[in-house]
Amino acid sequence: MDTSFITDTFDAWTDTALGWISDNGEWLFDAFRTVLEGTYDGVLWLLQLAPFYLIAIIAALLARRLINPLSGVVAGVALIFCAVMGLWTETMSTLALVTTATILALAVGIPVGIVAGFVKSFNRFLEPVLDLIQTLPPYIYLLPAIALLGYGPATALVATVIVAMPPAIRLTSLGIRMTPHEFIELGQASGLTPWQMFIKIRLPFAIPSIMAGINQSLMMAFGMVVIAGIVGSGGLGETIYTAVRTLDIATSINAAIAIVILTMMLDRLTQSAAHRAEGRVR
Amino acid sequence: MNSAMKDSNEVLVDCQSVWKIFGSRAQAAVKAITERGLSKKQVLQDFDCVVGVSDASFQVRRGEIFCVMGLSGSGKSTLIRLLNRLIEPSLGKITVKGKEIAKLNAAELRDMRARNIGMVFQSVALLPNRTVLENAAFGLEVRGIAKEERNRTARATLEKVGLGDWTSRYPAELSGGMQQRVGLARALAADPEIILMDEPFSALDPLIRRQLQDEFRNLTKSLGKSAVFITHDLEEAIRIGDRIAIMKDGVIVQVGTAEEIVTKPADEYVSDFVAGISRIHLVKAHSVMRPVAEFKSSQPQCDVNALLRTSPEADIGELIDLTMQSERDAVAVVENGTVIGIVTIRGLLRGVAGAPARELAAA
Repeated sequence: MDTSFITDTFDAWTDTALGWISDNGEWLFDAFRTVLEGTYDGVLWLLQLAPFYLIAIIAALLARRLINPLSGVVAGVALIFCAVMGLWTETMSTLALVTTATILALAVGIPVGIVAGFVKSFNRFLEPVLDLIQTLPPYIYLLPAIALLGYGPATALVATVIVAMPPAIRLTSLGIRMTPHEFIELGQASGLTPWQMFIKIRLPFAIPSIMAGINQSLMMAFGMVVIAGIVGSGGLGETIYTAVRTLDIATSINAAIAIVILTMMLDRLTQSAAHRAEGRVR
Repeated sequence: MNSAMKDSNEVLVDCQSVWKIFGSRAQAAVKAITERGLSKKQVLQDFDCVVGVSDASFQVRRGEIFCVMGLSGSGKSTLIRLLNRLIEPSLGKITVKGKEIAKLNAAELRDMRARNIGMVFQSVALLPNRTVLENAAFGLEVRGIAKEERNRTARATLEKVGLGDWTSRYPAELSGGMQQRVGLARALAADPEIILMDEPFSALDPLIRRQLQDEFRNLTKSLGKSAVFITHDLEEAIRIGDRIAIMKDGVIVQVGTAEEIVTKPADEYVSDFVAGISRIHLVKAHSVMRPVAEFKSSQPQCDVNALLRTSPEADIGELIDLTMQSERDAVAVVENGTVIGIVTIRGLLRGVAGAPARELAAA
């Protein structure tokens, strides 16, 4: 029996639905796109305001303060190296894309995670959705995004936000649920209102877990930003994509080094910030 | 403190036939208990419910330290949590300061917990991200008291528990005993009438524990607070408590002063418990003396008026000292100028060793 008509029908419906959405929701998606690109351009403008050595110095001081003096030197030198390779503009636009995407992912993910931490039924519904998002290959998200938002950084942003959000939601929700029982009891016995219980007891104990979530989101965002080079994200992702297509191995390696430098730096910085938060609670 | 001067017979906490039943069919079990008077065992069999507290009744008066002693699983921790409604009772009535706490709404309950009932935990539960001072001021902060005022009160309370120099430290920098002092200061700073102590000293080593027991008793008495003190250690209960309730399997087996419990244990369980307790400072003259007439008939040659005299509240230690000073082997117990009884050496020995249960029941 030929069963292909089932999938054919389904595919036809999907196409029609997507077409309908993009025709009728054009104004909405245009506005969305403008907001996303505006945010991205703003962050990028800010990063490009300063010359490369100033950014390198700031990064070095930050690493020195949060990690140790040696890391400060390494971070500074590594960033200058990016500029020496002639990839400064691309590095900054990747940084802008990653920070914008992570901030958007956290702005949605942390509140959603807090709600999921309190409402068990919501968490039960959310778990499989997050599983689905995390098991699908990440570039799947580029397709609907490109259909609705077109070629450019907005599409890259949306896809990156989708990929970066799940860890923030999961770890925030976990942190809220993990408040030690004796402190809940202390709060009740002291006559705390539900809001005070959240602010004074649950949130402080959840901070280390939330910080770990921020770190994970950032890492996911870095992974996605390179893939998003295909849809014209700009930055290092696109450099690599173009280099691969033209078999320009040297350029692709340079860009890869720049990405590794950026990723490791932000990873270590957020990780040690998370450790500090943990040290304060434990 | 004006609270200390108020009527000391005022009942602050009143528990009447309180039950707590844990399990999914607790409601049905409660119904069966009220209608058919099911026993604990039957409740477990028929309803698969565990009885945490069974028909507990007691009163705590103003200024009194009331100890609840029981082994783990005896329901003492459940009992103390019923008093500030951290656990809802299944049955029975609990009145705190004249208000039935089961009938309070959420805001009234919060207010009562914040103002009238303090609590100290075995785990201490000091917030690790706050300094000692901020921890001690926590209860006042919750009530919305301005920072300057609450810090002043918290600092004064920390000084009372001997931690005046540690205010800006973090809990992790303190020893276990010091942490528990902060826990006590946190409860006292909010100036509640009643303090619930949930095995606060159990995790401390013996020397520190003894020291804290004495400090706690002195502090509570001088501030005129009432306390319900949970412990698994009978010696601790005797040191601290004005009255002691002994709990076993969710049931309060006996309530009484330390002396009553040691000299007149209600059943074998209690008498097993008190067997190892030193009675020298617990047993008083009035419970070991013989009636004067009985003494005269057995020893007619002895002149009662020539004996050394003491009060009915003299403990065995003092009685032994007196007997050693005297040439005769007896001490007269005098109340309001008349001799009400004679303590002989036999009586002293009986007092030190404890009477067999049969003999006590007869007495």
